[in-house]
Amino acid sequence: MSRSVEERTADVGRLLAASRAVYADRARIAPQIARSTGLSLEGVLFGFSCLERAATDSELRSLVDAAGDAERVHVVLSANAFVAPLRAMAIARAASTRVTVRPSPRDPTLAVELERAARDDAIAIVSDRDVASVDRGEIHVYGRDETVAAVRARARPGVTVRSHGPGMGVALVTRGAGVAEAAAAIAEDVVPFDQRGCLSPRLVMVEGDEARGEALAAALHERLEEWGSRVPRGALAGAERAQATRWREAIRFAGRVWSGAGHVVGFAPWGSAAAIPPPGRHVQVASLDSLREAAAALGTIARHVVVLGTDDPARLRGAAPRGARVVQLGLMQRPPLDGPVDRRSI
Amino acid sequence: METDTRGRESQALHERARAMVRAFERGAAPPESFDALAVDLARFQAQSVQGYARLCAARGVDPCALARAADAPAVPTEAFKLASVFCFEAGHATFTFRTSGTTAGARGVHAMRDVATYDAAALAFGRAMFARDLTAPAPFLVIGPAEVEAPDSSLAHMCALFARSFGAAEPAHRTFFVRAGALMVDDLRARVAALDPAAPVAILATSFALVHLLDALGDDVLALPSGSRVMQTGGFKGRSREVVAGDLRRLAARAFAVDERAVVGEYGMTELSSQLWEATLVDARARPGVYVAPPWVRVVAVDPESLAPLPDGAAGIARIEDLANVDSAFAVLAQDRVRRVDGGIELLGRAPGAPPRGCSIALDEMLGAGGVP
Repeated sequence: MSRSVEERTADVGRLLAASRAVYADRARIAPQIARSTGLSLEGVLFGFSCLERAATDSELRSLVDAAGDAERVHVVLSANAFVAPLRAMAIARAASTRVTVRPSPRDPTLAVELERAARDDAIAIVSDRDVASVDRGEIHVYGRDETVAAVRARARPGVTVRSHGPGMGVALVTRGAGVAEAAAAIAEDVVPFDQRGCLSPRLVMVEGDEARGEALAAALHERLEEWGSRVPRGALAGAERAQATRWREAIRFAGRVWSGAGHVVGFAPWGSAAAIPPPGRHVQVASLDSLREAAAALGTIARHVVVLGTDDPARLRGAAPRGARVVQLGLMQRPPLDGPVDRRSI
Repeated sequence: METDTRGRESQALHERARAMVRAFERGAAPPESFDALAVDLARFQAQSVQGYARLCAARGVDPCALARAADAPAVPTEAFKLASVFCFEAGHATFTFRTSGTTAGARGVHAMRDVATYDAAALAFGRAMFARDLTAPAPFLVIGPAEVEAPDSSLAHMCALFARSFGAAEPAHRTFFVRAGALMVDDLRARVAALDPAAPVAILATSFALVHLLDALGDDVLALPSGSRVMQTGGFKGRSREVVAGDLRRLAARAFAVDERAVVGEYGMTELSSQLWEATLVDARARPGVYVAPPWVRVVAVDPESLAPLPDGAAGIARIEDLANVDSAFAVLAQDRVRRVDGGIELLGRAPGAPPRGCSIALDEMLGAGGVP
């Protein structure tokens, strides 16, 4: 039986109430999330500030419209940015009255806590459900390309698979922006989840000459140094550290590097390529003569860009990669609860 | 004036590198030590390439005070995509090799002012490892494009060089069997069928081209004359279904009716001027999968985080010192994992990208699996 928009919105509203309850209890569960994600405890608590706890009526209406209608939804969560389960569960709940959620085995905490706090019989946590056992409705899978491919391969005929793959953020600083202000806002976007979210900026493109790009990089280094003293970076995995070493050496060759205790900022003139750094508070800054050049340069990595942060969203909306959200710098990690963060497949 | 000086210094260094190659060909001792030439290359490259000077400074290395090659920073292959890695003005390049495109579109560039050192190094070690026993020019069949179809491919250049230098003079249509991007299976069948059964031939192929050929042949056998050999090079990198090295060797040996030890791996990179080879064709004790470097190349496994050298037997990232890389970077940090073992180097595959934590994209996913030289 199909629900009205108002009923669906109310169902999502209950999850938002659960989110507020979990947020209020964050001190209790933060250590567990810190252990599973590798974030510092301070990093987890700061990450909680990105957990959606409210939404306007129009945002919820947009989410409900985007969710569609499904008899059942099985949600497969990966070890995303740890607040991501709320949005995934909200979309599934908007779509269906029967939702099962398989949390990431490595990072199940928030999904389990939300389900518990929601007290919604329509949502059930299932820890080991094989997607091949889903016989109708939809599977919403979040994760890496290999995960998505594996789920598609095992899904039964007739079951719709909606996938949300990995991505990254790009920050664009126009000529009209103040360097210090832009750096402060970008730092606020880099720090959450130690850049492991698909909304995290890893590339900053600065409109102007090399001196302006270097000034932005230096200012960003200072802001990240300040952040590091308040919200220390968590542990990096060995492969992340190895990638960081390669990236740092390549940028040292191509430009200049500012290293902090828990971050690295590199500057290189925009050549034929960007050296996209690994997660872990590593940012490459590049300077470009014009926005037109920025759009062309983004072309090579456009399909990976989930969000474009800029000081001038109105001017850049038309130049953004297809499906990328365009938001104000400093708000890249805080999209409204209006549908999937990743709109590339919509 | 400074350009002239640099040019003369470059030529002198090229001559010293080629002297090492010639000594190897004669079976003579090298005219100087590896480190002596390496530190002069490091100093020259730091004086000529701003990026390398910056890299040295960042690592606290004074290029003029180096005593050992191992102390000179290695240039990551990514730098070849980001910046100029050559010691001369761009207009003076005579050959420009590029890595294959990746998902992100960026291609590494290895420009050469003087390709003679590359050619000398490739021919000397290629002859020693793959063509030493060919007493007469042999047919060379390349399962790849002619140089004119892939003018910026170092691999196409090397294959053409081998075919020209070791092979019988044959027109292109009888030598190259990838044309306009298509594998010419029927032409290859006809060519093999017409071979002199008493004269050995050489097949040169990339791994992915070989897989396509094997798929096309199915159970058919293109029997080569006795004494023939097959060179296979390069990984798969998303361009064909992946076949593990041992299986590919076995399947290729069956398809061409040659001994498995006659299927020889070659390892090269666009960013280098020299190659490593498996020694199974020339050394009865050599193990498949173990690659041997010429005396003007050193391969060291380094810790991927600290870049410090690792002991023999430990797996690490390949730091490759190639004295034939005169005008670019004599020390290159590759993306391949290696392990030094008795007799040479084992290739262990590509270094992994950032791990699957979080939903941010991993480098592997963004860049594809890398380029084919």
